[in-house]
Amino acid sequence: MKENNPLSPHIQIYNWHVSSLVSISHRITGILNYFLLIFICIWAGSIFFGEDAYDIFKLFLNSLFGKFFVIGFIWSYLFQILSEIRHWFWDVGLGFELKTSKITGLLVIFGSFLLTILIYSSRGFLQL
Amino acid sequence: MIKATKKWLFLKISSLIMVPLMLWFLVNFVSLYDSSYNEILAFLSSQPSKLLFSLFLVSMFFYSALSISEVFEDYIHVESTKKLLNIGVFLSSLIIPLFTIILISNL
Repeated sequence: MKENNPLSPHIQIYNWHVSSLVSISHRITGILNYFLLIFICIWAGSIFFGEDAYDIFKLFLNSLFGKFFVIGFIWSYLFQILSEIRHWFWDVGLGFELKTSKITGLLVIFGSFLLTILIYSSRGFLQL
Repeated sequence: MIKATKKWLFLKISSLIMVPLMLWFLVNFVSLYDSSYNEILAFLSSQPSKLLFSLFLVSMFFYSALSISEVFEDYIHVESTKKLLNIGVFLSSLIIPLFTIILISNL
């Protein structure tokens, strides 16, 4: 037991704050993104197996639910990216003050929605 | 170097590589997701998108496996379960991208 890393305190016992909301969402989206990544692999892999295999994805992604799925998917990844960038600053010792951490937390939340809109609306005319 | 420090360092290096590749993928994916078979085939079989997509998969799986094992570390208290889950995540993070990269390199 001595050599184990300390356990994280359980989240239910604390009041909700911006910092805890971003922290738990970072973890939830992290796990979700892993499954989405597997989806991306199957999507890309289906191209190898021919048009019939790909058509299943096309049908799904072209449906109304598919569009919501894509938008949710993009948001989830963007949230992870912005939150990870926030972690980079923490890693070099910046942004630990309560006020700063609250502002950066809000930036992650609102920024992820704003970037989702921006990236989704870049559809069709921006390809790198 | 302590094992946990090494893990943290790897996590950070992979995230620095993953973030720009992820943005690149998202920008392309929004334009491509409802495209025809031939358009996606053209995207995945031409350079530099083939190489960037492969790098994106490797860095993202590496980053995900390390960060998910960090979550297991915090919330799963039974050692044997934690070990089993970690093996599952690490193996799938190796096999799935490898298999996908082999498939797209043959496009």
